[in-house]
Amino acid sequence: MLNILLVDDDSEFSDVVCHIVEFLGHNINTAANLAEAQEWFVNNTFDHVFLDFMLPDGSGLHLVEHLQSIGKTPKITLISGHPSVKGKLAEMCAPNVGHLVKPLQREDIERVLSPKKNTEKKKTTPTINKHFGTLIGESPIMQQLYTMIERVANTNANVMLMGESGAGKEVVAQAIHNASKCEGPLVATNCGALSKELIGSELFGHEKGAFTGAIARKEGVFEQATIGTLFLDEVTEMPIDMQPNLLRVLETKKVTRVGGNKELPVDCRVISATNRSLTDLAQNNIIREDIYFRLAVFPIDIPSLRDRKEDIELLAKAFLEQLNDENDTDFKWQASQLKELESYEWPGNVRELRHAIHRAFIMSDPKGKVITLPENLESPFSRVNKQTQANQVSAGQTIEEVEKELIHATLDKVQGNKTLAAQMLGISTKTLYNRLNAYGGIGEYN
Amino acid sequence: MANNDKINKLIHDARAPLNRISMNAELIKLVLENDMPKDKALVALDQIINSCQQCSDSLQTISDLDSVK
Repeated sequence: MLNILLVDDDSEFSDVVCHIVEFLGHNINTAANLAEAQEWFVNNTFDHVFLDFMLPDGSGLHLVEHLQSIGKTPKITLISGHPSVKGKLAEMCAPNVGHLVKPLQREDIERVLSPKKNTEKKKTTPTINKHFGTLIGESPIMQQLYTMIERVANTNANVMLMGESGAGKEVVAQAIHNASKCEGPLVATNCGALSKELIGSELFGHEKGAFTGAIARKEGVFEQATIGTLFLDEVTEMPIDMQPNLLRVLETKKVTRVGGNKELPVDCRVISATNRSLTDLAQNNIIREDIYFRLAVFPIDIPSLRDRKEDIELLAKAFLEQLNDENDTDFKWQASQLKELESYEWPGNVRELRHAIHRAFIMSDPKGKVITLPENLESPFSRVNKQTQANQVSAGQTIEEVEKELIHATLDKVQGNKTLAAQMLGISTKTLYNRLNAYGGIGEYN
Repeated sequence: MANNDKINKLIHDARAPLNRISMNAELIKLVLENDMPKDKALVALDQIINSCQQCSDSLQTISDLDSVK
C-alpha cells in the first residue's frame, strides 16, 4: 500500500481519482494548490505525488524544486494536458519524476504505481517473433507454411488443414484469419464432438420450436461467422449422412435454419481440419469426394514437430516465458535441457511439448531459477503409441519375422508361460517349441 | 500574443471536463466490474453529462473567438 498525494485544483477530478486509487488499495490525500501541498509535506511523508502542471499559485515544477530543496524524494508523476512538458522534464534530469498526459486512464495510474511488474513484462514479451500473431518457428518448413498462409489469406478460398494431432491446426486457422484481415469473427466448432442430432442445429442454426428443447431461435456457426472465418475442426468425423447438407451450403452459399424455410446468405471462409491422411480419406469412405473438393480448395499440410526440431528451442522458450509472465516467476532453460527436449520425438507434437513444459514448471522449485525436467519425457499416450507401432505389421517384412514378433509378444504378455501362449496362438505347445528353436529364442523364456 | 494566451487558457478549460469524463468513465467501469453500489456510478454519470456540457461551452467560446478574429 502506498501513501499518495494528489495535487490538482479540479476538485471533481480529484474526488474521482481518490475513489479509483483507494480501490487500487492505496492511501490518498489531496491538495488544491502548491501552498497546501507544501503544508502536507511538513509533517507527512508520501511515496508518490500526482502533480498537476498548472496550479493556481504556480507551476507544479515549483513543488518538485521545493521537495528537492528539503531533501524529500518521493516518486512524482506530473500530469499535464500537453506533451511538451516532457521536454521540460528531460531538462530536469530527475530520475524520480515521470509524466502523464491528460485525459488519464485507470491503466496509466496502475502502471505508474506499480512500474516494476510492467517493466519486467515488457522485457519478456518481444523476444520471440509470433508470425501472424500466433505461430512460432523459423525453420524452412515453417517459412513455407507462412508463405502459403500469406498467399491464401489474400483470397477467399476454403482451406483444409491436415496434420497430426497436436500439430497446431487451430493455431494455423487463427493465423489465416488474422492474415486475411477480415472484419468478422473466427468461429470454431468441433464436428467430432457433436452428436448426430445436434450437428445440424450447431452448423445451420434452428428456429424456435423446431424440435423439443428448441426454446429460442439459434444462429448456426455459418451465420455467426458472417464476413469472418468458420473453423470446422475434425470435419472428417462428421456423420456421412450429414455431409450432403454441408455440401449444399458450400455449393449454394446459402443456409436454412433447422425448422426454418428462409434461405440466409453465407459469407465466410471455411477452414476445415483433419488429422487423417489423404490415403485414409480416399480409401475408407470417410468424407464424400464432392465435399473434399469444396473444402480443400487449398489444402495445407502442417508439419509435425519432429520435422522441425530446430523450432523446439524457440517454442520451449516461448511457453516458459508465458508461464513466467502468468505466474510472476523467472525460470530459465539450461542449454542441456533444450538439447534433451530436441532429442525427444514428440509424437503428440506441440501440444505434448507444451504439456510437458507446464508439468515441469509446476514440479520446479518456486524459489529456484532453473526449471526441472522429469527424468522421462514420454507421456503415457506416447508409450502406448510406441508399443502399438512396434507391434504393427508393415510391407516388406517376411512372414517369419512377423511370426517371430507375434510369438514373442504373446510370450511377453503371459510372462513366458508356453502352454498359455500356445493356446492363445492357436497352435500346439510342441509347435511353439519348434518355432522357438528355429528362431533361436527359446533361451529367453526358459 | 494576448489572444494566444487566451486561446491556451480556453483549451485548458476545455481539457479539464474531458479529463473528468475519462476518470468518471473509469470509475463506472470499476463499479460494474466489481458489483459495487450503483449510486456511485449514477453520480459519475451525472458528472459526465455536466462535463460534456462544459466542454461544449468551452469549444463554443473558442469558436466564437476564432470567428471574431
